[in-house]
Amino acid sequence: MSTVSTPTQIAPTPGYHPSRIDGLREQHGRLAWLLVLTGLVVLAAGCFLSWSYDPEILGNLSISFNPGSLQLFMLTAAVLALVYALAYRGPLRGLGVWIDSAKALMVLGIGALGFMAITLAVVAVTSSGLINIDPGGWVSLVGSLVLAVGGSLLERRPTKDTLHAQLPAWVEIGTIVVLMAMLLFGAAYALGQTDGNIFGLFLVFVVAVAWSLFAAGFFTWLGIVAQRHRRVLMLGAFAVAFLFPFTQNGSDANMSIATQVLIFAATALGLNIVVGLAGLLDLGYIAFLGAGAYTAATLSTSAFATIGWKPPFLVVVLLGAIVAATLGLIIGTPTLRVSGDYLAIVTLAFGEIFRLSMSNLDGNNGPDLTHGPNGIPAIPDLQIGSFNFGDEHTILGFSLGRFANYYFVLLVLALVIITVFSRLNNSRIGRGWVAIREDEKAAEAMGVNVFGLKLFAFASGAFLAGMAGTVKAHQDVSVTPDQYVFLESAFLLAAVVLGGMGTVAGVFIGATILKLLPEKLRFISDYRLLIFGVLLVLMMRVRPEGIIASQRRQLEFHEEDEALAERIEEVHLEEEAQT
Amino acid sequence: MQQRSIVRIGVPLAVAALALSACGSRATTSTGSSSGSASKTVKIGVIAPLSGSLSALGLGIQHSVELAVKQANATNAIPGWKIEVVFKDDEAKADVGKNAATQLAGDDSVVGVVGDLNSSVSQQTQPIFNSAKITQISPANTNPSLTIGADAANPKRQYAAYFRTCTTDAVQGPFAAQYLIAKGIKKVATVHDKQTYGQGLVEAFTKEFTKDGGTITDAETITTADNGGNNDFSTVITKIKPGAPQAIYYGGQFPEAGPLSLQVKNAALTIPLMGGDGIYDPKFIQLAGGKDEGDLATSVGAPADASDAGKKFLADYKAAAYPDESGAYGGYAYDAANAIINALKTSLASASDPKSARQATIDAVSKVSFDGVTGKVAFDQYGDATSKVITVYKVEGGKWVADKTDTFK
Amino acid sequence: MLFLQQLINGLTSGSLYALIAVGYTVVYGIVQLINFAHGEVFMIGAFGSLAVWTIFFQGQTSILILIPMLLGAVAASVGVAVLMERFAYRPLRHAPRLAPLITAIGVSVSLQEIVRLFYPGAKSPLPYPQIDYVSGTALQLGDITLRRSAIFTVGALVVSAVFLWWFINRTKLGRGMQAVSQDPDTARLMGINVDRVIVVAFALGALLAGIAGVAQGLQTNSISQIMGFTAGLKAFTAAVLGGIGNVAGAVVGGLVLGVAESLATQFIPGAFGGTPWKDVWAFVLLIVVLVFRPQGLLGARVVDRA
Repeated sequence: MSTVSTPTQIAPTPGYHPSRIDGLREQHGRLAWLLVLTGLVVLAAGCFLSWSYDPEILGNLSISFNPGSLQLFMLTAAVLALVYALAYRGPLRGLGVWIDSAKALMVLGIGALGFMAITLAVVAVTSSGLINIDPGGWVSLVGSLVLAVGGSLLERRPTKDTLHAQLPAWVEIGTIVVLMAMLLFGAAYALGQTDGNIFGLFLVFVVAVAWSLFAAGFFTWLGIVAQRHRRVLMLGAFAVAFLFPFTQNGSDANMSIATQVLIFAATALGLNIVVGLAGLLDLGYIAFLGAGAYTAATLSTSAFATIGWKPPFLVVVLLGAIVAATLGLIIGTPTLRVSGDYLAIVTLAFGEIFRLSMSNLDGNNGPDLTHGPNGIPAIPDLQIGSFNFGDEHTILGFSLGRFANYYFVLLVLALVIITVFSRLNNSRIGRGWVAIREDEKAAEAMGVNVFGLKLFAFASGAFLAGMAGTVKAHQDVSVTPDQYVFLESAFLLAAVVLGGMGTVAGVFIGATILKLLPEKLRFISDYRLLIFGVLLVLMMRVRPEGIIASQRRQLEFHEEDEALAERIEEVHLEEEAQT
Repeated sequence: MQQRSIVRIGVPLAVAALALSACGSRATTSTGSSSGSASKTVKIGVIAPLSGSLSALGLGIQHSVELAVKQANATNAIPGWKIEVVFKDDEAKADVGKNAATQLAGDDSVVGVVGDLNSSVSQQTQPIFNSAKITQISPANTNPSLTIGADAANPKRQYAAYFRTCTTDAVQGPFAAQYLIAKGIKKVATVHDKQTYGQGLVEAFTKEFTKDGGTITDAETITTADNGGNNDFSTVITKIKPGAPQAIYYGGQFPEAGPLSLQVKNAALTIPLMGGDGIYDPKFIQLAGGKDEGDLATSVGAPADASDAGKKFLADYKAAAYPDESGAYGGYAYDAANAIINALKTSLASASDPKSARQATIDAVSKVSFDGVTGKVAFDQYGDATSKVITVYKVEGGKWVADKTDTFK
Repeated sequence: MLFLQQLINGLTSGSLYALIAVGYTVVYGIVQLINFAHGEVFMIGAFGSLAVWTIFFQGQTSILILIPMLLGAVAASVGVAVLMERFAYRPLRHAPRLAPLITAIGVSVSLQEIVRLFYPGAKSPLPYPQIDYVSGTALQLGDITLRRSAIFTVGALVVSAVFLWWFINRTKLGRGMQAVSQDPDTARLMGINVDRVIVVAFALGALLAGIAGVAQGLQTNSISQIMGFTAGLKAFTAAVLGGIGNVAGAVVGGLVLGVAESLATQFIPGAFGGTPWKDVWAFVLLIVVLVFRPQGLLGARVVDRA
């Protein structure tokens, strides 16, 4: 049992500005709540009716009283809306003190409206005609509209800071476990969708729900809980990742994407040390992944390999990492003396030098080490003991294909990298990096070994990327220079920035977004890069600290935000008090 | 007090969780597949760049396969079976190609695949199709090592399931060398773009050319725009000029070859530029700015409009009104698809389902022999096309005109 | 002889780098921002001039057409640069350094894709028109081959440099730019409209980049949406080489880089010479200069703020 929390000051919601809508809200406060209730009931009711005349569209939405998956999404949204509504006024009032249910309802309502609009549009377009939308669809659309209007008109109330919420530990841990399970099933479900429309709509639904939870303040609370039960979270996340291949029924299609996400994320984590922690901008980071991959390729038993020595794979992993780290040192020693933007261009130049050298060393222009643009193909699958990674294996009745095998190796690798990353982050070294990032001169004056620590950041980041590269070589079967172009470095940086600098979860989310979405949203394939570019620009304007930002980092991007600064201090004190 | 109320968060959370996790569990009725007709379905995959800068070639491959399959279904070529085409975009990138190949391999009704366009992509898709025992026939891979392995002197079959209908760099380059020697051109400067295709072509050319008594005055490389070049070739041309070559042999693609040809001629070096099928493209002529009369290109096979089968293919393709042209590799893709269809006639005859016919299809493909659009379609013990017909094209009046067709010896 | 010829080749490509590099250096000198998307401004310029030719003068080659083409190029590139400043960079002016850099990468990718997807036929390289007197068969001076497009490029650089010198030192706006680059806060107190100065800096860089776009088209007879990336990278290298923030440095850096590249192609013997290693040597040169002379060849005004 925990103690009752300290008295809390009730602060207005950040970003609270009185405006015209507030006047409306004051006038129609009571009505708005009823509107919300009506809206969610209508929305739910519509889900039990047929939405589409044609059963072939969007996974059969044509059976009344047997909701299809899309209809189940909206039912879930309705249930969530009910929770918010009752927290606003009704039996869950106690919960309502903590969460901004009015804002959450608005967001959820708008999300549901968007979902319904897209769904009906898809039905109308694929079956050519609005006539093919059945009444249920219209009912739910109206319901979501009413919900959105009602949510927007609800009077906003100040909430208490969830930092002071005290719950029994089992509830907190239970929440984490439930969330992890949802993550696993959600991911398995989403990846199982071959229909791009359903996949896209599922994303709309997930974003709407997540955004409403965010608006409600749920994630702030979750962040604090996660901090408190870091071990449980780690273990849970790993368990989810470990169980994922077993949800795939032996199909390798998604595992092939998953392995790429893992390699990408592992590399991005290394980059996160350099950029996120030490604040050194590296635009040629892909070269370190390449160094690892090329090391593994030249030492493999491929007929194209150029070095006769064939050490066991674990030695290769280590060697690849060391080669990459050495390159990191070589590029770091002279160039870390230059600062800021100069470093960015030097690393960019280094990345290009690496790629060009790999494509040149073919015997015509320099010694034959890499076979130039041909690369080193036909790298055999890994073999540890009698376990060949290329074969399909059956474990506990589940058959696991080639990519699933590599997935497990990469998972272990990712775990190692995460451990190294978080150990470093919370150590003297990590604090030194942060000090350098914030103010190099001040750090130096305080006795931080600036040059040594910078070099170490470079080398350790490169080391991790090199490790990932060795596995990538075997997984990919061939290594060619054109896999290590500047755009890949930019993508890595984007993964770090998009997900959130300096955090592990952020990098994984960023990597997943950048690798998974283009695969699943094939119908936008030609517009993929354009969307990527626009997304980067918008992200920097709207939320420059990334989706999941470390709070210290967040403050850096919102220096003028006094409330945020105070909060961070409070969180810090809270943590101090607990240890 | 507060505590008690907050405990209640757990209840709605659990409800929401249950509702969400139930999403995936609705028993879905199988939709679409094999409704109505009694015949069984077998699929042929297409894997090629359908978006991006090479999409014109990839779409040509896709439509040519569609045409072959449409014709086979119309004549009921395999009694009791209906053929479908599934196509996947590899974006000309190895990573994407690998995902696409895995998806095709995971589809039990896929037996054969036509693709990839790029040798570098095939390097990564070969093992996936091979271990799934899916026949892969590429209409466009010209890198010799894909079939015979690293050591050309000791050829060794790499993947039993891999075949190709086009000829390799090892044929095109030497053919060009023989052509130039026959025309009395003994001094040639070579340029390539440092890519797999271009470098291979120039190496094969150089070997044959020097063997036949020619001299290479200078061997240069340029950088493609994709790799950071700026299409300004003046430094290279300055190096070539003192050797006074009678022609330039270029290994690479048309985006660089066109400007190179123009800049060579603008530098008062009026000699023809010759290249492989990578420059055999109308765009080359546009980019060469009207000074490219007499430039040469080799391309594999007889000109499609020279044989009856080829003429028929082009006419059928046109009649089908596909939105994209058949492109440089359409004929090869059409032949590749027909090779698979011919093999399926034997392999599916006794099979109950497509997956069990995969190995039999590989065996049958290695034995096919028929007259295709690009000549005789058959494969040797490494999976290479046995036909080695090459045509030299020449720019005349702003158009590519066939100059000489012959079998490489 | 070969040396002289390669020197001329190098000066030509160097002039192109210099024209683009000025854009990096002017913007950096004032807002300390690496405008990574500046290469795309150059590319847009080339497409702008091509669009003018295709719409109004299709099939013509008269030298007079060059003037509207140049105007088209400059209009397109200045327009894009100003919009970019207004909507992508200005909101981030006080954000940490990483944010505008990521934005720049985003803008760069978006512009390339917009051209590739929406400019007719731009999915593969487009042929650029040949204009009388400035392209075509080269002039022969003894053993030296002098390309007409090279004369145009070098001439454009000379004119631009003179104009730039006049603008920065002799106009009120130019002196305002100098003041802002030295101390933005004081400049603002003195009544200088800093926002306007920044827009002018972007526009000035874009002006030269647009001219460079035409020069590139005339030289190679082909333009594509990816040409901005490499050119931008090289030009940025040139700007850093000369001392970023220093306009004369950008010109010197560009010329040095161009000459170094062409001489390396010709004169570095053995396996590590020739075109394949040309870019490697260019980047090695950059790293060496930065390590031993971090302020660049001519020194920059604002090294420590970087």
